[in-house]
Amino acid sequence: MVGNSFVYVTYIYTTPQKVWDAITKPEFARRYWLHYNVSDWKVGSRWEHQNGDDSGKIMIDGTVLESAPPRRLVITWTRPDHSKEPSRVTFDIADYNSGLVCLTVTHDQLEHDEAMAASISGGWPKVLSNLKSLLETGKTENIWLAKGKEG
Amino acid sequence: MVMASSSFIYVTYIRAPRQKVWDALTKPEFQKQYWFGGHQESTWKIGAEWKMVMPKNGLTDSGEILEIDPPNRVVIKWRNEFRPNLKEEGYSRCVYELVTEGELTKLTISHTIEKENAQFIQAVSGGWPRILSSLKSLLETGEANPDTRA
Repeated sequence: MVGNSFVYVTYIYTTPQKVWDAITKPEFARRYWLHYNVSDWKVGSRWEHQNGDDSGKIMIDGTVLESAPPRRLVITWTRPDHSKEPSRVTFDIADYNSGLVCLTVTHDQLEHDEAMAASISGGWPKVLSNLKSLLETGKTENIWLAKGKEG
Repeated sequence: MVMASSSFIYVTYIRAPRQKVWDALTKPEFQKQYWFGGHQESTWKIGAEWKMVMPKNGLTDSGEILEIDPPNRVVIKWRNEFRPNLKEEGYSRCVYELVTEGELTKLTISHTIEKENAQFIQAVSGGWPRILSSLKSLLETGEANPDTRA
């Protein structure tokens, strides 16, 4: 966390399309995030981050700000009760050398929500580590079981 | 008093026992596979010298082991020796922390220097994600990421 933004970079031996699908397809997201990401992913559309336990509980929602599959997705990140100003998440999916994808997740505009800033700083490394494991090995863990929970 | 400082923190979760992650971080035969072919020389005891040696550039970093508690934690006093602008910034402090969480090891790297907007921290901020992504791949798949092999 630098200032009010959190940046996490990871290199994954896969393709940009697979990373895009892993973020935007509900059943794919559920495998490593344990939550669904639901939207038609068009600019201006609503997206929902739903609990993967099939309660359908909306944990986070927001609006799609930019969508350029499979390279870049920018969304607002809002508490469902809208009790705080939304923050913003940017996914940049770039080809790196040797068949690697460089995925950069930038979560910023967190000035108005310190609790969210703390929570996402713990959450993103779990989610993105599990994503890398899934794409490289097919295996995942219940990342919210061990300690804490958020995402 | 608040000191001006720069820091880089990275957390990754690796499906491997803590001892295995520790060995991968401290043993040259592992390091060479995911650290661009480089390795580190140290006896990994408190007060011991610590050196980073790269295949093309030779000695690139040096320092000392400040604290060590295998396989849980090590604190390294760490200075770049190979780029004058980085060497000039002096010693940094790098902490590795390993914690078991279920089937995973949580590895936290915290790299700090007592200087604002340090170029050294900017440099390691680019390197650590590549190295640690490759370390995770090596331990989970048996193969390091191609870009970080020698």
